[in-house]
Amino acid sequence: MTSLKSRSYWLLSLGLVVLLFVVAQQLPQLQLFPEDWNLGWREPINDFKRWVVINRTTHWLFLLIFEPLSAVLDFVIRFVEDVLLWLPWPIIVLGFFLSANKISGLRLALLVTACLVLMGLFGLWKESMQTLALMSISVIVSLLIGVPLGIWAAQNDRVDAILRPILDAMQTVPIFVYLIPVLLFFGVARVPSAIATIVYALPPAIRLTNLGIRGVSADLLEAADAFGSTARQRMRKVQIPVAMPSILTGVNQTIMMALSIVVLAALIGSGGLGDVVLKSLRRLRVGSALEAGLAIVVMAILLDRFSAALGQRSIQFSQPQFQGFRLFPASWQANGFAQRIEGAIDALYVRSGNLNAWIKSRLPERFRSDWASMLLVCAVVAIPLLLLGIDNFPRDWNIGISKPVDNLVEWMRVNLYNIGDSGIGTGPFRDFLIVQIFLPLTNFLTNVVPWTVIVLIATVLAFRTGNWKLTIGVVLMLVFVGLLGMWGFAMDTLGQTLIAVVLCILLGIPLGIWASRNDTVDQLLRPVLDLLQTIPIFVYLVPVIMLFGTGSVAGLIASLVYSIAPVVRLTNLGIRKVDETVKESATAFGSTGWQRLIKVEVPLALPEIMLGINQTTMMVLAMVIIAGLVGATGLGLEVIQGFANDNLGRSVEAGLAMVMLAMVIDRIAQAWADKAAEAANLKA
Amino acid sequence: MSIVQLRNIWKIFGPTPQHVLKNISPQASRAEIQAETGHVVAVRDVSLDIAEGEIFVVMGLSGSGKSTLIRCLSRLIEPTGGDVIINGQNVTEMNETDLRDLRRNTVSMVFQRFGLFPHRRVIDNVAYGLEVRGVDAAERYAHCAEILKLVDLQDWGNHYPHELSGGMQQRVGLARALAVDPQIMLCDEPFSALDPLIRRDMQNELLHLQKTLKKTMIFITHDFLEALKLGDRIAIMKDGVVVQVGTPQQIVANPADAYVREFIQDVPRSRVLTAETIMGPANAATATDQSIPAHTTLEELIPLVAPTDAALPVVNGNGEVVGAVDRAAVLQALAAA
Ligand SMILES: Nc1ncnc2c1ncn2[C@@H]1O[C@H](COP(=O)(O)OP(=O)(O)O)[C@@H](O)[C@H]1O
Ligand SMILES: [Mg+2]
Repeated sequence: MTSLKSRSYWLLSLGLVVLLFVVAQQLPQLQLFPEDWNLGWREPINDFKRWVVINRTTHWLFLLIFEPLSAVLDFVIRFVEDVLLWLPWPIIVLGFFLSANKISGLRLALLVTACLVLMGLFGLWKESMQTLALMSISVIVSLLIGVPLGIWAAQNDRVDAILRPILDAMQTVPIFVYLIPVLLFFGVARVPSAIATIVYALPPAIRLTNLGIRGVSADLLEAADAFGSTARQRMRKVQIPVAMPSILTGVNQTIMMALSIVVLAALIGSGGLGDVVLKSLRRLRVGSALEAGLAIVVMAILLDRFSAALGQRSIQFSQPQFQGFRLFPASWQANGFAQRIEGAIDALYVRSGNLNAWIKSRLPERFRSDWASMLLVCAVVAIPLLLLGIDNFPRDWNIGISKPVDNLVEWMRVNLYNIGDSGIGTGPFRDFLIVQIFLPLTNFLTNVVPWTVIVLIATVLAFRTGNWKLTIGVVLMLVFVGLLGMWGFAMDTLGQTLIAVVLCILLGIPLGIWASRNDTVDQLLRPVLDLLQTIPIFVYLVPVIMLFGTGSVAGLIASLVYSIAPVVRLTNLGIRKVDETVKESATAFGSTGWQRLIKVEVPLALPEIMLGINQTTMMVLAMVIIAGLVGATGLGLEVIQGFANDNLGRSVEAGLAMVMLAMVIDRIAQAWADKAAEAANLKA
Repeated sequence: MSIVQLRNIWKIFGPTPQHVLKNISPQASRAEIQAETGHVVAVRDVSLDIAEGEIFVVMGLSGSGKSTLIRCLSRLIEPTGGDVIINGQNVTEMNETDLRDLRRNTVSMVFQRFGLFPHRRVIDNVAYGLEVRGVDAAERYAHCAEILKLVDLQDWGNHYPHELSGGMQQRVGLARALAVDPQIMLCDEPFSALDPLIRRDMQNELLHLQKTLKKTMIFITHDFLEALKLGDRIAIMKDGVVVQVGTPQQIVANPADAYVREFIQDVPRSRVLTAETIMGPANAATATDQSIPAHTTLEELIPLVAPTDAALPVVNGNGEVVGAVDRAAVLQALAAA
């Protein structure tokens, strides 16, 4: 295929598309996906669900497998939750403070403290602890399954070959789809939320463990062998420790994945912070939704930094030395007051270090460690607090922001929605988007463009990469969407995805280029993008709803904000990576800055840019389905309504269609990105 | 009795090495075999005897099969054909447990790129061999502290490898190999990654250690001067084949072919060749007032033979006359390059 000249390939394809378009006008079979081809899975699935509901208490499958599993998990989660709620809150803060200090230093310790106190001040201490309990257990179980699986996959190529496509698929599958089977077998409660979280958070743990262990250099393995290690010794003493930074990155990602579905987990009864977000959203109480959303963000930051610090520590291979703490910027050094405060902190810090040393010296030899001494301190402090009956964060310390936010929303609804009835404002803007762009595009994709033409276009795109398997797979997956009876909804979703992706590209690439040119912009943008990626998906919806009400536009804007980061980041990276000598030679030949950018830098950065677009697209897809929760139409809404109306078959159909759509887009984009990378390699 | 015997060792890399080995024609060159079968003959029919306590250097250009050969010895690379016999035991026939015991107790190794474990302190790197052998912590730390003293790193035990310079890292590598008190040490270009000055220090240190330790060392290098300096004997490899084995003097005096001659071109012959290598028969000796020890280098010999036309007798360690040298023999040896 590659032998065909590029231009003739596209001309031929265009001809075929036009031809098919014309022919399809005459043949309704080719125009609208024939309804009688529907596989009719919906009812059987619903029947199955009814069967499950009826037999849950009697069938051996449940009695022997699901119920015991459920019971154990439930017991553990409840236990942790009870302990966290029983412990006086200052002890929890102290515990986090001390361990953060031990792992990384005072800076992290203060950050962690601030995060915890903030949760308390929002009046969400109890919910936060519930979420923390569910998260911790889910993450621990994920790691208990994922790390050994990763180790196994690293040792055994066949296991790896089996796991790899499964993990790939798991990352393409929208979060929602995990909920369906779990819901089916475990019903609605804490346990199913935990299980969905565990499964969802599993891939990075497996993948990065595998990657890390496989990445251990052959030199080290040979050295281990040369000294007569058994396979087990080699694994324990060399491979795992050397892979530890990678494994801990996996732990970090696992935690972040788990946190990103806190709100969704609330859909199947996790309770905690997610539940607050969800309930507030349903009642359109934006203020409390935002509070709970922020609490989730804060928890994400806390756990992210905490686990990242663990990873850092594992590659330093040496104890950090205390060198004095800088609370204020260096330019304040001259200020006597700032100096005094920093001095006091230093002194206090050194004192407590001495106290720690003293406690440690009193401990019996076997337990002599910083951790034991920390535990002891916590226990000693806990006793009087427990006697005083202090447990949860005091309610009346609440400095919640829900009131002002609600007022703000109200103000915006009144004042921004339609400013002075002039037809300008977020309301008319939304209506304009829907009437002028969304509806026409959806209508165009669903009713005007024959389904066969869509399949043909996808085929043409896939075939051009020269990959036969991909081409066949793409056709089958698209037809499957039709067979599920989801063609129309899928096109609706596709339309919204396209709009969001195009907007991301139009905004993201220039932003990335700008950042690559200007270090200040880069430095300003970096933490913002980091934050955007740390925040759980859901939280984006909250402020957007404030401005645009519910519906597809809110979904679109939330997807835009959520998904733009990779394009910006990778465009920036790609252009910055272009070899200095290449840039220099472009300049030497008298290119203007613009010519150099267009003719040299962007083409050389194309692989990274493509990768960014690919990642952005996948994030948009993940978001589109969640947007269904705020009323965006398409597959997402189908899934949600299936849940809401006790019509699981509908959810499954829409969910599967979602998976197919995501896979088609992902695989084609991936193949193109690979091709671009190959071409760039050839040029280099 | 040689401690290590290699008998017709072959190593062929590729999908069906046994098949290629069976059908190999003795005349075909390595390049021809590769073109025809897609297999690389890395080691080709190598037989060597290595004596206890000697430093045996394997020398050759990069790609000549040195690393592969040395790894066949403890079967880090499985030889395609032939036998390795260590202490009279056939290593090629050992089961996994015996092989592991061999690696734990008898044969240890030093690597070109050090191969230190980045996550272990220096002392734990040195102790690795003892640790996998199951020696308890107190004992292995005590022993390894001694070994660290030996390589002059006694103050660095608690540091991590990345905190050390290249030369120090390789001393850790050396210490790690010595810590298991092996009979045989395999050194795969241990000093090639170091700066020339450091390399010279390390060579001297190795020779110094060897004086007391008397290990059997198989030492790989692509640097002929290093081979001359360290080797009791040298084997020269080319395209997987050993083309010449001998003492440094033998090789410098009588290079086997053009490939070997290439190497010795830049060698200061007067410093390598000794009276022993160039002497004629003992009965030719004409001078009686003067005798020359067998290991006298030509450099030292020149002022002795220059003023006299007589042939001076060469004596060995026991004072027996074993040969004779005169001015002509010295000049000839210096000229023949
Ligand atoms: N694992 C391998 N697979 C295929 N060929 C190899 C492998 N290891 C080494 N070779 C080849 O065997 C030859 C000898 O390699 P090596 O023993 O490393 O040489 P040296 O150590 O003398 O530089 C080289 O041509 C090398 O390319
Ligand atoms: Mg080598």
